[in-house]
Amino acid sequence: MIRRVILSSVPVILGLAMIIAAETLAPDWPLLRLQISIGVLLFLGGLTGGILIATIFLLQWLHCLRVDAAVQTEKRSQADAQNRFLRRLDHELKNPLTGLRAAVENLEESVSEDPLLTTLPDIRLQVERMVRLTGDLRKLADLDEVTLEQAEIDLGELLGGIVEAVRAQPMGAGREIRLVIPRVPWPLSTVSADEDLLGSAFFNLIDNALKYTRPVDVVEVRAAERDRLIQVEIADTGPGIPAEEVPRIFEELYRGSNARNREGSGLGLALVKRIVERHGGSIAVHSRMNGATGTMFTVLLPASGSVDITKR
Amino acid sequence: MSTSRPEIAVNPKPISLLLVDDDVSITGQVGAFLARAGYQVHCEADGARVLEKVKGLNPDLVILDVLLPGMDGRAVLRVLRASGDHRPVILLTKVGKASERALALEEGADDYLNKPFSSRELLARIRAVLRRARDTSVSLASAWTLTAGSLTLDRRARRAALDGHPLTMKPKTLALLEHLMIHPDELMTRERLLNEVWGWEYPAGQRTVDTRVAELRRALGDDAEHPDFIETVPSEGYRFIAPVRGES
Repeated sequence: MIRRVILSSVPVILGLAMIIAAETLAPDWPLLRLQISIGVLLFLGGLTGGILIATIFLLQWLHCLRVDAAVQTEKRSQADAQNRFLRRLDHELKNPLTGLRAAVENLEESVSEDPLLTTLPDIRLQVERMVRLTGDLRKLADLDEVTLEQAEIDLGELLGGIVEAVRAQPMGAGREIRLVIPRVPWPLSTVSADEDLLGSAFFNLIDNALKYTRPVDVVEVRAAERDRLIQVEIADTGPGIPAEEVPRIFEELYRGSNARNREGSGLGLALVKRIVERHGGSIAVHSRMNGATGTMFTVLLPASGSVDITKR
Repeated sequence: MSTSRPEIAVNPKPISLLLVDDDVSITGQVGAFLARAGYQVHCEADGARVLEKVKGLNPDLVILDVLLPGMDGRAVLRVLRASGDHRPVILLTKVGKASERALALEEGADDYLNKPFSSRELLARIRAVLRRARDTSVSLASAWTLTAGSLTLDRRARRAALDGHPLTMKPKTLALLEHLMIHPDELMTRERLLNEVWGWEYPAGQRTVDTRVAELRRALGDDAEHPDFIETVPSEGYRFIAPVRGES
């Protein structure tokens, strides 16, 4: 009796195991999963039961596909609407800013000794800040449509050049910036990328690491390769980012509590994120404010040949 | 004194500009700045009336906003060029996209400036465009073929040749060469090149310009120390030193 139960349950367990294996091993092949499921169910439940259950599976799967497509369309249209908004905002700001700039320049040329004119440099500074902001807004809106000039990029070389350039800037003077690029036993795979654009993203991250840390803090830039993914980390020993701010820092115009009183448009990290995503990559951040404090940005980029970045 | 020598004009007729923009904060402030720089400035807000104003006032240069009521700035420029009028025009654009920039040149603008621009920058452009207009009959910006000595650039086909031999270069490098050739003898700062050829600018991006110029020099076989084409202006930028001719 017990033996019969065990014997008859073996095909059921095997069949379920096959379905589970198919679900986990081939998550990207829904059709294959469906076929395996149908096969197993037909075997277990006879023709009628199998077809019945398979029909339910099929309907569920189709429903999921439709929901997926709807979510994708929704996301796309949200992104498009946001881009249109950015362009309009940019547009509406530009005329008044041009007028303001000219007005300030007119006053700067004036020979009057009026003490009120001593506020001019302040006005100038604020106007230039808004000019930068509109420029960044435009770049953000452009990033989705700009054509990437693709080439095979050696990330080690690119990062080396950027670190060198940062060291030559006033903000990098006297700072400890370490660069760790694996060369042994083989160098990093290349990535297919727009060198100038990707370089600007890494520059931004390294610039941020210097800007939001103290002169004694260390900044480390390191790269590694795993499973056809190149991982670049920009880490610092700075004071860290409050946990509640971490999820927001890639949002447009978000300025964290550390960022107050510091130069910047609040669009730097949003720009970095879009550039990385245009290259088929992703970016994440980890930060600690207790113990060994610091912040680490992790950029993952597909190694060359594993993804086509020309598609949006 | 009774010499009958004709009086040399001490005060030559001032150079006149027509500034077309529908925003009074721009015509007012920018206009005042240019007037102080010694130009005679006329303003117009309606695109549909620009052509008649150009005929009536005969300005030496037109500064034309792209978005205008009445008639679009680009349309005004097209009609102006179609009527055989080749006086210098600077377009004021709001969008800095690369496609937009190329468009401005194809329609025959001599230069363009993105809003929000600085009046000092506009003044520098006006001077450069007027100087260039004196030297060449065809505006380089709207010429399809640019020639400098043995170097030819076919802008439509996106091809460059040296002594008749085609040169291979990346699209961005060619765009850089094109930009330098349209602005011969003008100091092009790294910032300006980044803004106009790449469409963005950031501090370390200047390295990008240097890399491309080095690439361009290799393609042209130009010696940085004794250049025939591209001169380095220390700590400033670059200058295209060979005389450039344009053919439409």
